Amino acid sequence: MTEVVGPQKARPLQLKSSEFRRLREPAWRELEGIIARMESRGLGALRPEEFERLPLLYRSTLSSLAVARSIALDCNLLLYLENLAMRAFLNVYAPRSSLIEDLGRFLTTGFPVAVRQARWHLMLILAVFLAGGAIGYLLTIGDETWYGAFVPESLSQGRGPRSTRSELMEGELFAPWPGVANSFIVFANALFQHNAIIGILSFGLGAVAGVPTLLLVGYQGMVIGAMLALHANRGLAIDFLGWVSIHGVTEIGAILLSGAAGLVVAEKILLPGPHNRLDNLSIHGRHAALIAAGAVMMFLIAGLIEGGLRQLIQPTVLRFTFAGVTFVLWLAYFLFAGRQTMRGRT
Amino acid sequence: MTLAAEGAYRAADRVDALIDRGTKRRIHLIVTPEGIELPVALAEHSERLVAFLCDMLFWLGTTLLIYIAAIWLVVELGGPLVAFTLITLIAFLVRNLYFIYFEMMWGGATPGKKIAKLRVIDRRGGPLMPAAVIARNLTRELEVFLPISVFANLTSHGASANWQSFFLLIWLLLLSGLPLFNKARMRGGDIIAGTLLVSVPKRVLLDDIAEQASSAYRFTSRQLQAYGSFELQVLEELLRRTPSEETSQLHETVAGKIAAKIGWSDPVPPSQTHDFLKAFYAAERAHLEREQAFGRIYQDKHARGGQDAG
Repeated sequence: MTEVVGPQKARPLQLKSSEFRRLREPAWRELEGIIARMESRGLGALRPEEFERLPLLYRSTLSSLAVARSIALDCNLLLYLENLAMRAFLNVYAPRSSLIEDLGRFLTTGFPVAVRQARWHLMLILAVFLAGGAIGYLLTIGDETWYGAFVPESLSQGRGPRSTRSELMEGELFAPWPGVANSFIVFANALFQHNAIIGILSFGLGAVAGVPTLLLVGYQGMVIGAMLALHANRGLAIDFLGWVSIHGVTEIGAILLSGAAGLVVAEKILLPGPHNRLDNLSIHGRHAALIAAGAVMMFLIAGLIEGGLRQLIQPTVLRFTFAGVTFVLWLAYFLFAGRQTMRGRT
Repeated sequence: MTLAAEGAYRAADRVDALIDRGTKRRIHLIVTPEGIELPVALAEHSERLVAFLCDMLFWLGTTLLIYIAAIWLVVELGGPLVAFTLITLIAFLVRNLYFIYFEMMWGGATPGKKIAKLRVIDRRGGPLMPAAVIARNLTRELEVFLPISVFANLTSHGASANWQSFFLLIWLLLLSGLPLFNKARMRGGDIIAGTLLVSVPKRVLLDDIAEQASSAYRFTSRQLQAYGSFELQVLEELLRRTPSEETSQLHETVAGKIAAKIGWSDPVPPSQTHDFLKAFYAAERAHLEREQAFGRIYQDKHARGGQDAG
């Protein structure tokens, strides 16, 4: 042992990293205490002055971590700081709005803005839907045996090529109103659940390049087309359209929107654009999810109209009027809602 | 922190560290808005499953309670059909809102995830937005509930099951199995929403070993050049082990190896082994940290190969 390391000769070993830790540790401990309470009891557990100090302590801990990474080799210290910074990060950047507030913002801006951004997808979906409708109509109008191929039994409820004009009029188009409980609750709910799942699926199926989404929407068009043809052959085309449109404006709108949401996802998978595919997908996937969630709400409204109001409003003229009003309202909502806020932001 | 509490944590922490450094856990780096890189441990598939099963249990339980309450309420008011309908609607809403509600309100955790110590985070290190929560949970219908219903459909038809449903099921299962096939273990919903499921256990700050070192031992800088930071951290882990027969034997072996490697001539008596190791740890860390301050980083004992050892 010839040469002895200089500074160690006189006094016990002094490590820069230990000194650093002694100086900063009180702040880490304070942050740790605050975070632990937030994790177990939420934001309400903090006193106002602690809430004030939280971002400060978080940033000083981040800077401690950066310093520790360059000067310290104490593994436990580094892991602890990384863990503390991560936990603080999650709590500091947790979204802090209330559910009602979120819902309000979603309805006034999020949903209509997302829909406007997806207008081209919506156009494509509309075209596919109309094409499906045309195919269903043209095939069924010539040969009614096609009806069974398009419309599943659960949907046709016994109606088909053998139904007569009066059966359709009395049992379907102008059937008596079944009463509050049955119409608003039973029927509306069954319709809503069925449609909402179809809507969620057409969004989700966008993740597999959108082909199933297109098929699903096209198929919905075929069902409507086939039904229209069945009624047209019995001279009931106008009455049928009135009967469908009263809720159809909302319901078909929702079908198209969830389809468009699926296409937004599909487009970003197929054509990633300037960003990396995953990043791009996540940005647009969220917009698409907003559209799909809004569509589910529209299905709820459509279910209520279909189950509750359709048989209550009997004359076809009134039905068309109602449908026209809902159409204008939806159009105005999607065209104009949230524009002000967006302009203010940019 | 009290000594007792620390002792209790020490063992758990060591296991954590072993798991972490056993590289079983996959790490993903996120960058906070302040520009600091933070490594996060991705959730294991098993943890994911546990969290999901717990959540299933909770929402099935909730739905069951609502069922009972609804039946009790509605039997008086309307026909059984109305009661049944209300119940299915509530079940539908609970199923679809359970995850969304908790992930939005609890900052990316549901009761099940809390039990498994998991959280949903934004993949790029931003705040977890409500839209992302909605996106990752709407696809759950496709990934979990649809395969279940197709499967139920398939089994209820028995031998006459059609090929269509069979292929649909396989295709859906591939979609559900997505977390098994990608590096970040994302399911479809995570990919679309830009989120990740990570494990955030608590870690405890232990005492600084260098502070406890006695100054009775002196090492030359030539002796300290024998090792790099990897060996230092292995030594740290050894010194942090709970004292036991096994640990002290291990310490003796290690002390012997170190003494041989650095040419330590004085014999170290067994009672002094722990002090010797601590002192060596402190001196080695002081040395390596000083070197690091001047940009000379030695990852391990082989890192000095190309350099002038003097």
